[in-house]
Amino acid sequence: MLLVLEVTTRLLEPLRSGVATVLTPLHFIAELPYLAGGGLGEVMATRETLLARTREQETRLLELSHIAQQYHALKTENERLRALLGSRARLPSAVLIAELVGVVPAPGTHQVILDKGVGDGVASGAPVIDAYGLFGQIIEVSQFTSRLLLVTDANHAVPVQINRNGVRSIAGGTGDAAYLELENVPITADITEGDLVETSGLGGGFPPGYPVGRVDSVRIEPTSAFARVRVRPMAHLDRSRHLLVILDTPGSVDEPEPAAAPETPATPEGAQ
Amino acid sequence: MNPTAGGWVILLTIAAAMLLAVVHLPETWPSWLGWLRPVWVALVIFYWVMELPHRIGLIAAWIVGLFVDVLQADPVGLNGVLLAGITYVGWRFYERLRMYAILQQGGVIFLLLVLTEGARMLVLEIIEGRGFTWLVLMPAFTSLLVWPFVVIVLDGLRRRFRVV
Repeated sequence: MLLVLEVTTRLLEPLRSGVATVLTPLHFIAELPYLAGGGLGEVMATRETLLARTREQETRLLELSHIAQQYHALKTENERLRALLGSRARLPSAVLIAELVGVVPAPGTHQVILDKGVGDGVASGAPVIDAYGLFGQIIEVSQFTSRLLLVTDANHAVPVQINRNGVRSIAGGTGDAAYLELENVPITADITEGDLVETSGLGGGFPPGYPVGRVDSVRIEPTSAFARVRVRPMAHLDRSRHLLVILDTPGSVDEPEPAAAPETPATPEGAQ
Repeated sequence: MNPTAGGWVILLTIAAAMLLAVVHLPETWPSWLGWLRPVWVALVIFYWVMELPHRIGLIAAWIVGLFVDVLQADPVGLNGVLLAGITYVGWRFYERLRMYAILQQGGVIFLLLVLTEGARMLVLEIIEGRGFTWLVLMPAFTSLLVWPFVVIVLDGLRRRFRVV
């Protein structure tokens, strides 16, 4: 029997995903109270609250479309500049809207179940975002569902950069749902409270440019060569129920890859 | 399990236990509350093994464990081994266990669960590095608290549907 445990560390994925497919209804039933709660809330909402919400959404839409108009101009300009520099254009990635249908109950791990699986084209490793920022990545898919590891799980890490100045680091989960921690940040690094942390796209796992969080605190201990940088995740990890699975990650990275991909030229300046 | 009277009752109660194992509190509640969840599947399996040792064997317990593995996203085989261990103790001593008072049975289960939850923590620490904490005693403790109710409910079901 312990032998089975040993096998675990190798490849037992088909078995897992098969069993997970069988167990799909169980997760769904367990989630019913929350789904029903949401549905009831919509049915029972008063006219006033609905009107207020519509008004709010209209103003929000105006704001967003204002930004979107500029976005197109900026995008074409960006593409032109990139063409001038001779680097690859960043492809827009296809997304899939998924709904949260379950939470993995084990304490000490942050994982949730989504209602999209192999049948919808979800693959293991796909990054997931919500309306506010990076949510996590898919670690297991069955026929109808997939399991998602949140950014705050102690086993999760994502390559990031500071939006303000491009300082690169890795944001690791801490097991605490409230914050991430930047790993191996030298005390001299230019990171201050309030800095926006976004995915850098290095390593190819996550597309570049998605917000991950804001720097909450930078603590420098005199005895340590590294600063302790806490990052508050941007995504509403405990509230968002509708998420976006990014299906194909454009691995367009025009910065030096860390030794993992030897076939790409090492320097951005040297690109033709 | 031979397909005689009321096998479906056993299956349904195990399925219900699994359901209880995945039902979760609202995410906004503090996460340490998760440690208070009794080990439902182990309780139900232990009950059936104790009362009907000829119906549930090690293999059945191991297969149930496989399902629990996937539900809880544990390494495949972990819960199988733990549940099989519990099943073995229940199967080996069922005559004695049936004679015990409910609280005495609860005590046995408490000790078993302390062992299995400890083993689970050890394995998870080795494989995923989740760390050690005294909180593992909590599931065993809450299981002890709910054991009398599990016995009452399952006894009722067993008599009502004449599962033998």
